[in-house]
Amino acid sequence: MNDVSQFEPKILAYVCNWCTYLGADLAGTTRLEYPPNIRIVRLPCTGRIDFNLLIKAFEVGADAVLVSGCHPGDCHYTSGNYHARRRWILFRELLDLLGFDLERIHFTWISAAEGKKFQQVVTDITEKTRKLGPYTELYAAAPVKDLPQPQPNPLQLQTFATENELRAEARKLLAEGAIKVVIGYGERGPVLVTRPEDADQLVWNNRCTANLAMYLKRKEVKALGRPAIVVKACDERSLVVLEKESQFERKDLHVIGMACEGMERPRCANCAVRTPRFADTTIGQFPQQTPTPRPNKLDALMEMSRGERMAFWVQEFDRCVKCYACRQVCSLCYCERCIVDKNQPISIDPAPGTKGNFAWHIARAFHLAGRCIGCGACTQACPVGIDLGLLNMQLARAAKKHFAYQAGVDPSAELLIGAFSQQDKEEFIG
Amino acid sequence: MANIYKPELMEVIAVRQQTVDVKSVSLRFLDPERAAAFSFQVGQFGIFSVFGYGESTFNICSSSNWKDRIEFCFRKVGRVTEGMWKVEVGDVVGFRGPYGNGYPWDVWKGHDLIFLGGGIAMPPIRCAVWYALENRADFGEITVVYGARTVGDLVYVDELAEWAKHERVRVVTCVDPGGETPDWKGDIGFVPTVFERAQVSSKDPVVLVIGPPIMIKNTMPVLQKMAIRPASVYTSLENRMKCGVGKCGRCNVGSHYVCKEGPVLTMEHLQQLPMDY
Amino acid sequence: MSELITETRLRQLAGEWLDGGKRVVGPVRIKDRVLYQPLQSPESLLIESNPGGVRPANSIKEFFFPKQETLYQYRIRGRNIELIEPAQEFTEQLVVGARPCDAAALPILDHVFNWDFVDDFYNRRRAVTTIVTVACSATDEACFCTSVGLAPDDTRGSDAILLALGSGRYEVRCITDKGRALFPGKTETSTESAKAAPPPEAKFDPGKVRAFVDAHFEDPIWAEHGRTCMACGVCAFSCPTCHCFDIVDAGPTAGNARVRTWDTCQFPIFTQHASGHNPRALQPARQRQRILHKFSIYPEKFGEILCTGCGNCVRNCPVGLGVLNMLTEIQHGQHL
Repeated sequence: MNDVSQFEPKILAYVCNWCTYLGADLAGTTRLEYPPNIRIVRLPCTGRIDFNLLIKAFEVGADAVLVSGCHPGDCHYTSGNYHARRRWILFRELLDLLGFDLERIHFTWISAAEGKKFQQVVTDITEKTRKLGPYTELYAAAPVKDLPQPQPNPLQLQTFATENELRAEARKLLAEGAIKVVIGYGERGPVLVTRPEDADQLVWNNRCTANLAMYLKRKEVKALGRPAIVVKACDERSLVVLEKESQFERKDLHVIGMACEGMERPRCANCAVRTPRFADTTIGQFPQQTPTPRPNKLDALMEMSRGERMAFWVQEFDRCVKCYACRQVCSLCYCERCIVDKNQPISIDPAPGTKGNFAWHIARAFHLAGRCIGCGACTQACPVGIDLGLLNMQLARAAKKHFAYQAGVDPSAELLIGAFSQQDKEEFIG
Repeated sequence: MANIYKPELMEVIAVRQQTVDVKSVSLRFLDPERAAAFSFQVGQFGIFSVFGYGESTFNICSSSNWKDRIEFCFRKVGRVTEGMWKVEVGDVVGFRGPYGNGYPWDVWKGHDLIFLGGGIAMPPIRCAVWYALENRADFGEITVVYGARTVGDLVYVDELAEWAKHERVRVVTCVDPGGETPDWKGDIGFVPTVFERAQVSSKDPVVLVIGPPIMIKNTMPVLQKMAIRPASVYTSLENRMKCGVGKCGRCNVGSHYVCKEGPVLTMEHLQQLPMDY
Repeated sequence: MSELITETRLRQLAGEWLDGGKRVVGPVRIKDRVLYQPLQSPESLLIESNPGGVRPANSIKEFFFPKQETLYQYRIRGRNIELIEPAQEFTEQLVVGARPCDAAALPILDHVFNWDFVDDFYNRRRAVTTIVTVACSATDEACFCTSVGLAPDDTRGSDAILLALGSGRYEVRCITDKGRALFPGKTETSTESAKAAPPPEAKFDPGKVRAFVDAHFEDPIWAEHGRTCMACGVCAFSCPTCHCFDIVDAGPTAGNARVRTWDTCQFPIFTQHASGHNPRALQPARQRQRILHKFSIYPEKFGEILCTGCGNCVRNCPVGLGVLNMLTEIQHGQHL
């Protein structure tokens, strides 16, 4: 026991007040010995455990993290642990992509009566972590393999045939008076057209890649009055999610849906639905198609070792300058005040260092879990070329794999996060 | 290498709770040599910090004649002030300063002084009043009109009473209509109204008015009626600050950097600046 | 007579500098774009950033004014506070392949970082850095250096400048002693003389812009042309001259340090008061501030425009804005 060279792992445990904490208490009062390596942080419920607390544990030097709460069905707040479980299922997939060592993150259900189980779990985790050693791989830099890059596709600017139809529609809507602004594509970028005579500022060509739904959250746009918005079938999924999340009333928005055969970017080759489905005015028509699946960067990344994946992200995030373009252009990042801009407490280190950048991108990606529709605006906006979309893609895959859920496709489907099922899998929970 | 962002360490020697959410703190330099060498002009501000929480900008609300300490006064509204709220006598905090410009006492010399303040704007007036009283012969009549939303929001109430005891000093305290308590003996009304009611008669006074923009806006017509020119009316601006040394780019009102060319300026000057504050 | 250097020789030199423990910064290919980065090897240096653009998408300011800088750390032991200054080692730096619009930004920034209070974090880095600029052999429609008094071969801020002669050869012109110290014995004399790209046509008159912004603080133009801005920091962070910063203290989990980080007037909470009041509550006011600061305030204070016309803001803006849009509107619009 006094062997100074023996590594003593530091284990941080987030436990719920009503079950696991009392279970730990019981272990104490019944004199069950367990290693002192554990530090317990008591929270009211596992449902309240913000995922970034797990990251913070590693940030401050924990070698392993335990999250433990009431058994399903026993939650003091009825369903807190169900919500937690659903989040954990998704969060583990994100951590896996980032190269975190999932062997160092443990989830258990321990009840107030299970003092023995608490003793067992803590002893097991301590020994396991002792064998794993200190978590030196956390944010470890290493030479990184290149991911396959899509071939740059510098197409000539091609105006689509339906451009004039779009302009006519915009002109008509603005002249009629009920619509105060048309959010559309302009020559250099998005435009907000407020007068019928300016309708010719609108363009429709193979560079109209932006997801204009990002303007629906802007105070400056809301102040203009009832909007019409130009969307492609892919962007339309944002509208489905936003409406489901009560960000607007459908009757307050006029949707001009543009059928589209593809823009000047590789992702368009994966498109299945090419005509918006819920627009008020649909311009053009292209039938659905079945795209051929192609190998992509996410597959390549998941084939790398865990250490290589982490080194990849260390290198990517090293370039991040916290410009928040990813957040600003995202149609689903609409919080009045983002968590990273709050300082009571400072949940996410605002500085653009390794810790702060990992924490930020993990937070953003996970806040979009089950919501991101994969428009790619974040990746495109990033001035230093970070492959942000991979984070969202991993979570979208996880949503599909575990819950058969795709964001923005079925307007009648229950939202993923915020709901739970008693059948949610828990093979990873001890 | 000089580190202009590094604070000096100060010991808290007194903490006074002024209202339910306002405290005033007295500090003294840990380094006695530094304490002896330190000086500032009344009206300047400092950036006070609580380690672990952050820094915040406050007027140095003590008179520059008080060599044993400096004081600042704050309302608990955010992260840093929450940290400051916990500070006790004997704790160590940080200080950077003095920054900005002070009141132009050489210009004010020989004039009657009128101080108009609202709510948490009293501290930058408090230091000026004490300084004026300490150099009593330099100034004429001194009038203070100070108001807050409710009786409980008034700060430095004991000092207000003390000032009134001085020669040729008139202190009028008021609360907003509805803010009075049954035993309130002071005035009731907004500061500009109460000031007008007070019928202060003065030839060519200097006026220092500090408060929320709406209060200043409503005070100007009253001063105009008294034939007081905007060039004789002073205010102390506030804006969000971080560096205090003119580099972080956020405190400017047009081309006027509050941390460098302010915070003290005349209304005449302020009226020429854009609405950027 | 001129001095000439080949690309091979230049890479060799970069290797020597790296081996000597210096930091060498230059344009490097990162996926589909080019960014100034510290070189890992001389091979990664792109002397002319041809893949996808006329200049790197970032600027060299981060090597003088890093995106994060620990100002000091603090140690709290009970009532005892100890302030720990950062280790003041500023590695000697060489920037190779800067553009004239990057190099010229440094003398412009010198003013604010030395305005009464002297920022030694910045000055020390300036002192240990040598800038070797490459004159532009091409410009694009986002470039507007000539509108702010610069040119594709301007030497302002450079210690030496390379001008392309073609076939991987460059004419070397040393401007300062620092520049001259780099190349003795490494160049060959030649009779060839290089020319840079033809300067882009001036797109606006900064004097006209300044007069306009001073007189039109309230004007519909700020909303008309600034409303689509999404309030991110891409323009400011890729700008060679933007220098606004924040000071944060994130407490124990962030290492008990006070850190300076890049900030921008475009962020909504940049000017937000603790009371909740925000003098620039909407984006048009923030767009106005950017133009005002660069074309009126900085010239008023320091006699220089806070812009080198590099065009990064235009190329990088996710919604196609950037300052040029507003400036040409002011120049050509009905406002004057």
